[in-house]
Order: sequence, then structure tokens, then C-alpha cells
Amino acid sequence: MKLSAKDYPDFSRAIFTSSFPLSYTLEKSSSFLLVHLETKFRFRIQRDAIESDFIKSFGWIKRNDSYTITIETKHSNFKFDHFVQNNPYQLVIDFRQLEEKKIESQSSLEEAKVTDGKKKETPSQPVVSNPQGRQSPPAAKGIKTIVIDPGHGGLEAGAKGKFGTMEKEITLAISLKLKGIVERNLAFRVVLTRDKDLDVSLENRAALANNNRAGLFISIHTNSSYRKNAQGSETFFLSLNATDEEARKLAYLENSSPEFEGQIEKGSEDEIKMILWDMAQSAYIKQSSQLAEILQKELNLLLGTMNRGIKQAPFKVLTGVACPAVLVEVAFISNPEEEKDLLNEAFQNDVAQAIYRGLVSYIKLYSQ
Amino acid sequence: MDVKRVAILGVLLVLLIILIVVFFKSGGKEKIKQPPPAPRPELQSQPKESGQTKKIVLLFLSEEDDLLHPEEREIIADSSVVRQASQTIEELIKGSEKGYLSPFPPETKLRQLFITKEGVAYVDFSKELTEKHPSGSSAEILTVYSIVNSLTQNFNSIKKVFILVDGGEKETLGGHIDLTRPFLPQYSLIAD
Repeated sequence: MKLSAKDYPDFSRAIFTSSFPLSYTLEKSSSFLLVHLETKFRFRIQRDAIESDFIKSFGWIKRNDSYTITIETKHSNFKFDHFVQNNPYQLVIDFRQLEEKKIESQSSLEEAKVTDGKKKETPSQPVVSNPQGRQSPPAAKGIKTIVIDPGHGGLEAGAKGKFGTMEKEITLAISLKLKGIVERNLAFRVVLTRDKDLDVSLENRAALANNNRAGLFISIHTNSSYRKNAQGSETFFLSLNATDEEARKLAYLENSSPEFEGQIEKGSEDEIKMILWDMAQSAYIKQSSQLAEILQKELNLLLGTMNRGIKQAPFKVLTGVACPAVLVEVAFISNPEEEKDLLNEAFQNDVAQAIYRGLVSYIKLYSQ
Repeated sequence: MDVKRVAILGVLLVLLIILIVVFFKSGGKEKIKQPPPAPRPELQSQPKESGQTKKIVLLFLSEEDDLLHPEEREIIADSSVVRQASQTIEELIKGSEKGYLSPFPPETKLRQLFITKEGVAYVDFSKELTEKHPSGSSAEILTVYSIVNSLTQNFNSIKKVFILVDGGEKETLGGHIDLTRPFLPQYSLIAD
């Protein structure tokens, strides 16, 4: 059995990989979590990489038919979730630190700036970094950066309308408007995966989000159908194809170092060693579905476009994103009526406004 | 003596030339003979005299909704699953007889199809599938699942479908849907 640990933007994860299913119980004991395993088999326990600030060490105690694995953490103030996946069998335990520093999170901007200055900090620090010094209404746990992804770009134009409108133009226009609204009203950092007509690979878009420790990822697209009269807006989150195989790939190839953070905004995509989090999104499906639901509600309210609801599909751009992530299909560029809407600045503003409101509701929900 | 020597040399030379020719010929042959990725099915199914047919269901698109609409078709039954699956895809590409919309660019062709022991059908289309595809999430989703569901629904031995383009893996169909992983069927997309 292999034991490993890794930090994610807002939690730390311990993974037990075993060649056979485990029957286990979990018990918290101050800063330790005890994992009691009952098994007739004898197995070798192997410590794999511990790449976590919160999970300090693994230990074990062997008795006749049982093992107890001890996970030592940094402090006792945490809660944990656990689940198992198959092929190979993995017991996954996620640790979330609880705010022991209530005072600090409500503290003044000065303190926020100090923590901002430090490069390394615990991932779930609830402080919003904010160079402009604006107070964010809801200081959502862990969310500091929102990544907006204008679909397509460069040679890859996406879908085209009857009047020749290209998907890549509309997605960029809406994304720039959304960025403006978020920055005017919220204290989050907003990163665009492209801010002009550029080719950016789908993997690089996800990597950019992960390198920036994005708390939310919103990909903006316009839809297209074989049906002439297809219309309306819908919001997608990832569906996992062949889930059994993907679970195995959840362990990701890590290649991060603090220097990347400075480089990213310079747009030197190719020089950035990507953090390849293959299928990282599979850990965020539930939050992503909630984000999709909330955004879709706002789109329906504000746009008056037909509600096509929220759906799941295997979108390439979402698979590697390690935070709640959705893809918004604003309207159908293949429908001449909606193509006209999409070209209209006021409509674009409404879309950005609707998505912004959705973001605010989601963040409020998660900061409770 | 000299004559003998010349004769021996001559015989040796002829033998050498033959050896060289044989060597290069077989060498050349080995280069051409690439490892077959899988049993390549005959794309043109020869109608057999026995003429047994099997009813299958193809899934097409409609102008009315975003679902897949079933249409029955007959294929030749006395052949392997691989050949039946190939016929199914070819019928799907031919299009509907009831006026449903086709989820394929009309120029698309099936290049090959094979099925692994694990029940993954690899369906290899000509490059038109992606090059001439209108792109767009809805269009891509329906193209993918008309292929996937049409195969899994008719053949129990097919559990997943991997879509290849022009003999290789493609990242996406038209910028949206991921083609780098095998698809499981999505029966919720089928209209009743």
C-alpha cells in the first residue's frame, strides 16, 4: 500500500493506494487522524511523496488482523472528508483547515497586504489579496483568483455564424466585459487565459488556472448546432468519461515552483512548465455543478434567452482544472437571430452582468 | 586453372547478387509491412448468398430538439461483430431515410473499425469529420453520441467507443468535446 499527500488550493489530500479494497474506520485524535484498517492480508506499507504543508507524516501500528495508519497534521483544527475510488483501489482523505484565526480574517487591509507580500502561505488562508485595497463583500474561503477563459482564439476560430461572426470574437468581448465588472466590484484577482486574438492550447488554459491557483474557472463560448433554430443559453460542467480509468490518473504530475507565479502574466506560455493536473476536475464535480446551476439561473433571469438548463459533457478544457469550473454557452451563433444578439454590446454586457451575479451568489454560498 | 577460377568467381558473384536481391527484397517488404494496429475489417461488406439480415437502430438528429432519434435499418448479419459495427457506422454516415438530420459532414468516411478484448470500439474516420465539422458544443455532443450510442446500443460487446480521426488521436472534435478518452454511452440523449 502506498501513502501519499498533496496540497490543493483549498485542501490537503492523503491518498492510500492499495491493490485490494480496504475496510476502514477513521478516528480523529487531536492533530492526528487514525485510519483503522481491518485485513486478513499482510501488506507492505510504502510512504510515497508528502508534498503538503498541512499533512506532516504517516506512521503505522500493526496488530493481528488490523493496521492503524496515523496521519499527523500541523494542528488539530481541521475537518475531513473521505471517499474511495477503484482501479486501483484508493482511499482518499481530504483535510480542510478550520479558521482558528477568526480575528485575522476580519482584520484590516494592512494585514491582508502583509500576507500578500509573502510568497508562500497556507493554501486556505482566508485573506483576500487586493492591491487596490477594495473590500471584497464575501471573503470566500480560499478563492483569491478567478480565471476567465475566452473560448478559442487565433487560427482556431470556433463556430461561425451566418453573417460571418466568429465564436472567438464574441467570447473575448464578453470575457473582457466580465473581467471589468468583477474588478470594479470584487476584490478578486482576475486572470484571462487570453486577452487578444491568440492561439492558446486547451491544456495551457487549464495549466494557467492551476498555476495561478484559481478559485473559480469560467470558460465562455457561443453555441452551434446542426438545427437552424436551436437557441438559448446553457451551462456545462464536466462529465467524466470512463470514470474508472480516470480515477487512476487523478494523481498528477507536479512541476510547480514559486517562480512560475511571477512569469505567468507576461504571457510567455511556452516557457511555463505546466502543472499537468490530468483530470484534476474530477475532484470538483459537485462544486462545479452548483456553480453551473447558479450561473444558469442568472443567465435565465437577465437574458430572456431560452433556458436550456445545466448539462454535463466531456469538455477538454475543463478536465485539468483544479477548482470549480464551468463552461457557459451564451447563445447560438448558428442561429441568425442570436448571432445578432451576440454582436450587440448591450447584450454582451448583460451576459457579463449575469455571470458576475452568478459568481457573487456562488461565492456567498461558499463563504457561509 | 584460370578458367576454373573465373567460373568459381562467376558462380560466387551470381550467388552474391541473388543474396543481395533477396536480402533487399525481404528487407523492403518488412518496411512496408507495418504492424497491423488491429484486424482491419473489409469496409465493403460483400452481400452473401445466404442474405441473412439483422435489424439495427441508428441515431439521427432532428430539427425539433437536441435529442438523438432512432431509425431502424437492416444490415447483413452473417459476419463478425466488427463488420456489423462497420456497416452500422456506414449506414449512419449515409444518413436518414426518414428526413432526420445527419450528425456528420457529408464527406466523412469510415476508415477502419476495430474492437478490443475489453470492449472498446476504435472507430477511425476520415479527416473530414473534424475539418468540415461546424464546431460548437451542441453539434459536437450530438455527433459524438450518435456514434457512441449507435454502437453500444446495437452491440452488447461494445462498452466504450474511442473516436479516431485519420488514423490517429485528435484532441477535440471541433474545439470542445474531448476525443482523447473513450466515451461511455449517454442514453439520456435518446428521444423515445
